[in-house]
Amino acid sequence: MDRIAGTEVRSVNCGEEIEEIGVDSLQFGEEIRRLMAAPTDTGSSFTALLELPANQVMELLHSPDTVRTPASLAGDHHVIERASRFSVFAATEMSTETSSIPSNSTPHSHVVKLEPVNSDSNPNSSDPMAENDNRKSTKRKEREKKGTGSTKQSKSVSNESSRDGEKLPYVHVRARRGQATDSHSLAERARREKINARMKLLQELVPGCNKISGTAMVLDEIINHVQSLQHQVELLSMRLAAVNPIIDVNLDSLLAAESGSPMDTNIPGMVMPMMWPEGQGYGNRQQCQQLWHFDGLHQPVLGREDNASFITPETSLLSYDSSKDSASLPPNQLKMEL
Amino acid sequence: MTPHLSSTNPNSIKTRFAYKFLRALKRLNKRRPTSPPHPNEIFRWFRMIKTASYSSMASAVGSRKGWSQAMLRKIWCRALETRRRRRRRRRCGGMIRRSSGERNKADELRSLLPGGEAMDFCSLLGETAHYIRCLTTQVQVMRNIVDLCST
Repeated sequence: MDRIAGTEVRSVNCGEEIEEIGVDSLQFGEEIRRLMAAPTDTGSSFTALLELPANQVMELLHSPDTVRTPASLAGDHHVIERASRFSVFAATEMSTETSSIPSNSTPHSHVVKLEPVNSDSNPNSSDPMAENDNRKSTKRKEREKKGTGSTKQSKSVSNESSRDGEKLPYVHVRARRGQATDSHSLAERARREKINARMKLLQELVPGCNKISGTAMVLDEIINHVQSLQHQVELLSMRLAAVNPIIDVNLDSLLAAESGSPMDTNIPGMVMPMMWPEGQGYGNRQQCQQLWHFDGLHQPVLGREDNASFITPETSLLSYDSSKDSASLPPNQLKMEL
Repeated sequence: MTPHLSSTNPNSIKTRFAYKFLRALKRLNKRRPTSPPHPNEIFRWFRMIKTASYSSMASAVGSRKGWSQAMLRKIWCRALETRRRRRRRRRCGGMIRRSSGERNKADELRSLLPGGEAMDFCSLLGETAHYIRCLTTQVQVMRNIVDLCST
């Protein structure tokens, strides 16, 4: 008997908001006790039930059409335990399911709350699906809400069509207490939550946006930030265009440095010749090695423009480096700042 | 003289972008006729470098994001245009103009972001976040290059 009391207590605890369920479970408990006294052969029907897969059991148990009389339920306490376990399967959040074995399954007291598959499926596809279900269940929920005096705040959207055992993807939204539960507002709420999440991300990205509250100001900041970044890109490309003639030598060293360090694992074929200062076939590469090691110049492959640009950068670099005392820094180390 | 490896991911967008951009710069430099740049020429080079920078960033990102796709498409359209010498102004993607003429914030953001015209607000925000991140890496890399080249 204590097991029955256990289920009762459980159902009462978790199902605070639905007093009808509590009442039902009490009734059910009494019925079970009555049944236990007399061994019934209807127990076979219930165990037959239990051999079915869980979904179908839930469907059978929860279908509002079928009238489940207590007499049809087994008096065996194992069965009760199993049934309560099934209820725990089906309803991870909702309380109604713990008293899942309906004695007189009135439609308004039992709403199936099976968890949907994924929460970010397309709401459009689910809307026609969920709409009918939601319309049906809206009434139920409202009645349930009226019936509750509890402090619990969350309800989940029911998906009655998934009772068939196939879980159809739809948006799982939590409707808070006192909020509308029709499909449009639910979809809108999901959309709003998505937008708010992304706005938070953006606020973290843009410096100085955390203190600002309000979407419009944040959007202003974001727009300003994007514009400033684009202007910076323009300025830097202007500088590059002005500086460009010198780039010839440095580029190769940069490229080598760039490829040398982070991309070691990636492109060994390309990296090796660049890395080794012994001089490979590349004409340009020899310039960079020149930069590193001050070896003798080999200019067999250098084109005209390379010649013209080579002397000036070399001298400028050397002079600059010596004056700046930064010659010790190899270019690849500088590049590491990237 | 082993370069000390910072914790850079070799496959990150930053390194991919840096690589592509440097290669593009090298290619551009080979075409450069005179080493002291003519002031009129600097503007042309500036435009080309800017395009190279944006296109290398967009190709480093790939087609995974809407803005990179739209940017690449725009660049290719413009390249085709100039090659065929047709001065037809063809906007790839079309602009949705508000009839009332007022520009609310979402529209401004859309005009800033490449390919933002055809996006709903939610994905617009997501793409903006990614775009901001890529722009910051672009600025970092370019600044490093300029610093290195100008020293």
